[in-house]
Amino acid sequence: MSAAYQSKSSRVLRALFGWTVVGVFFFPIYYWFSVAFRPESQIFTKPPLVFGWDFDVSSFEEVFGLDLGGEKTTSLAGGGDFFMTPYLIDTIIVAVGSTALVIVIATLASYALSRMRIRGQHHFVFWILSTRMMPPVAVAIPMFFIYKEIGLMDTHLGIILVHALMNLPLAVLLLKSFFDDIPQEIDEAALIDGASRWLIFRRIVLPMAIGGIAATAVLCFIFSWTEFLFVLTLTQTGLKTIPVVSSTFVTSTGTAWGKMAALGVGAMVPAFIFILLVQKNLVRGLTMGGLKQ
Amino acid sequence: MRFNQNSRKRYLAEVTQRYVSGRMDRRAFLRAGGKLGLGAGALGLGLGNRSGGFLSAAHAQGVEQDAEMMKWLAEAGKPFAGQTIRLATESTPPSNAINSFLKQNFIDATGINVEIEVLPLEQVLQKLTLDVASGLGTYDLYYIDQSWMAAFAGDVVDPRERYESAPDLAMPGYAMDDFLPALVDGISMYDGVMVGVPYDIPIFIQMYRKDVYDDLGLSVAATMEEYLANSQAIMEARGPEMYGTTGQMKSGHYSLECDWTCWLWGAGGSIFGPDGTFSGNDAEGLAAMEYWIKLKDTMPEGVTTWTWDGQGQAMGQGLAGQVLSWGEFFTGWDAPGSPTSGLYEAAVPPAASKALRTDTGFGEIPGVGHQGGSSLAVSRYAKSPDAAWLFAQWATSIDTQVLITALGGGTGPTRASVYDDPRIKANARPGIEGTTRHLDVVRETIANHMGSEPDLPEWAELSNDTIPVELGKFWAGDYDSPQEVLDVIKGKVDGIVQG
Repeated sequence: MSAAYQSKSSRVLRALFGWTVVGVFFFPIYYWFSVAFRPESQIFTKPPLVFGWDFDVSSFEEVFGLDLGGEKTTSLAGGGDFFMTPYLIDTIIVAVGSTALVIVIATLASYALSRMRIRGQHHFVFWILSTRMMPPVAVAIPMFFIYKEIGLMDTHLGIILVHALMNLPLAVLLLKSFFDDIPQEIDEAALIDGASRWLIFRRIVLPMAIGGIAATAVLCFIFSWTEFLFVLTLTQTGLKTIPVVSSTFVTSTGTAWGKMAALGVGAMVPAFIFILLVQKNLVRGLTMGGLKQ
Repeated sequence: MRFNQNSRKRYLAEVTQRYVSGRMDRRAFLRAGGKLGLGAGALGLGLGNRSGGFLSAAHAQGVEQDAEMMKWLAEAGKPFAGQTIRLATESTPPSNAINSFLKQNFIDATGINVEIEVLPLEQVLQKLTLDVASGLGTYDLYYIDQSWMAAFAGDVVDPRERYESAPDLAMPGYAMDDFLPALVDGISMYDGVMVGVPYDIPIFIQMYRKDVYDDLGLSVAATMEEYLANSQAIMEARGPEMYGTTGQMKSGHYSLECDWTCWLWGAGGSIFGPDGTFSGNDAEGLAAMEYWIKLKDTMPEGVTTWTWDGQGQAMGQGLAGQVLSWGEFFTGWDAPGSPTSGLYEAAVPPAASKALRTDTGFGEIPGVGHQGGSSLAVSRYAKSPDAAWLFAQWATSIDTQVLITALGGGTGPTRASVYDDPRIKANARPGIEGTTRHLDVVRETIANHMGSEPDLPEWAELSNDTIPVELGKFWAGDYDSPQEVLDVIKGKVDGIVQG
């Protein structure tokens, strides 16, 4: 009886602890969402309104140019508005473009590094990794000069390229480890059957590594989605991504927190959709390599 | 309809009176103003039927400006049609206002395309620094905060010279001498060079809750000591629900340096002595720190994490009874829908505890009314300098400044005539959108209480990094005494200045 009681109480305690941890992590997200969906007048109150705020969509209406029947207000001192939909589209173009480019290049490169032997291969891999050790700001300023000269400044292509450059080393190393986990004997069997390297890669290894590719793509997408410094330095008015444009909510007369939260919530949606699309493979990819031969 | 000067003024006064008294709607007022070429400014009186916030871009469309000016602008802009000029600016009321009526009132009129990049202040500095260092002319126009003026003085075109040397591009009636002289000195002049045209002027004024003052029997502080006493009295009577005052004291942020200079100058001190060395650690500097420590006891704990943003939000929520800070907050706090709508009053800053120092270095002008103005300058590396100059004149013209001020931003105009404009005077009412009732105080503060930071190329670094970082460490408890932090700052500042 006592043992059963203890067991039950410990189960309850464990569950309670688990929910507390979840709550601690979930609360800031909940609060951010609630700020996006409440009127400006209820964002800063004393005491803070955690629950019981009035539902209001005016921030979304202004930020995304929608008409959801909310009250039309503008909180930008002096006039103007916070219409951000074009920047969301810019962000999607950059993130998807750079991710696609990285995956194409990194898949080929990492397969080659995994299967083929070249002199000084370990040094080569280390060299790839070392490019990530350089602080981005050390690269950003020379990139500014180069981009200005070659006309890539303030263009989608320019940002796609620089994000690809930033993510490529990580993607190559990640994918190499995924390809390493696929037994070489499969390649060798196919070679004996007369398959070419390209055929083996395309028809045999690539489908087996799709989970790892999905996981890598998600990481590259998120890094591009949230990157700040390069976009800030290499753009003017031609395009802006969400992290940079979020800072424009900070004005000399205050920060438009409601609008910023609405943009943040809205910006989660495309990333969320992208992850949902690759989710099936993502779980496989993340657990790939958990068991070694 | 044609007007002579007298009938024009009488007509304007009549329609303004009819509008203010509610006998004329906004649309009719705009139409009437438009006949005088004043349609744009009249918007400021257009309180409309919205319940909160400021006028949006949509509202700003369809606004007319002075017909003569627009006609000249269209002619002068023809040779540059199709060119694109770029400006990086902080999100300030004037920049937002200009952005909102830019297309119709400048781009369509001239054919010159204007791209305005709106960023937080520190990012504007980064962009300008990169542009100047590269000399690539990424931007045609610079938004120059007064604290960076010396650093960019060699990279801009002197607007006076430009106005004189290119008469075909000189806007008729631009009235360069209409800019408030104190502002020209404080935010535009460095070493004999006019770095830019005075663009906006956020300045420290005293703002207090009249209901709280009346309730507690307090009078507006005339001295720094009275200001502290009022803060302590509010804290004692209303704390902890309401604090005496607030601050903008985030470590490493320029706002912390702004607060510090206010208390330093208020104690009779100065940042630099006449020999060009740091003097903020002398007896007056120490007195300022001791004053600040006492004042901080009447502030919320969070002030050490706030910039002007946090301070503005806190005051707008009624968290404190008084503050000595940027006058541009006033309009937002007074707007309908704000918890403090109609409750604040403005007054000039209190007098310093000791006589303001005159023997300073690098053109520093001590004054409790710390100014954070900025100027608009044409870059020496501009790809389209003529088009940029036309834009700069339009953006800082009398008519555009009236429009900007009337749009409800709350920043004080930089031109004398704008303060006297009937369209601005008509909006000097409490509890309305875009009130201008604090502007007389702003003007008085500019004329008699304004403090300006020193002008030296290193000042951008010192004011945005060196000083606020060390002061931030002090408020975090990293130093044992105020004297210690001031001595450390002296060592660092003198080291940087002397190279």
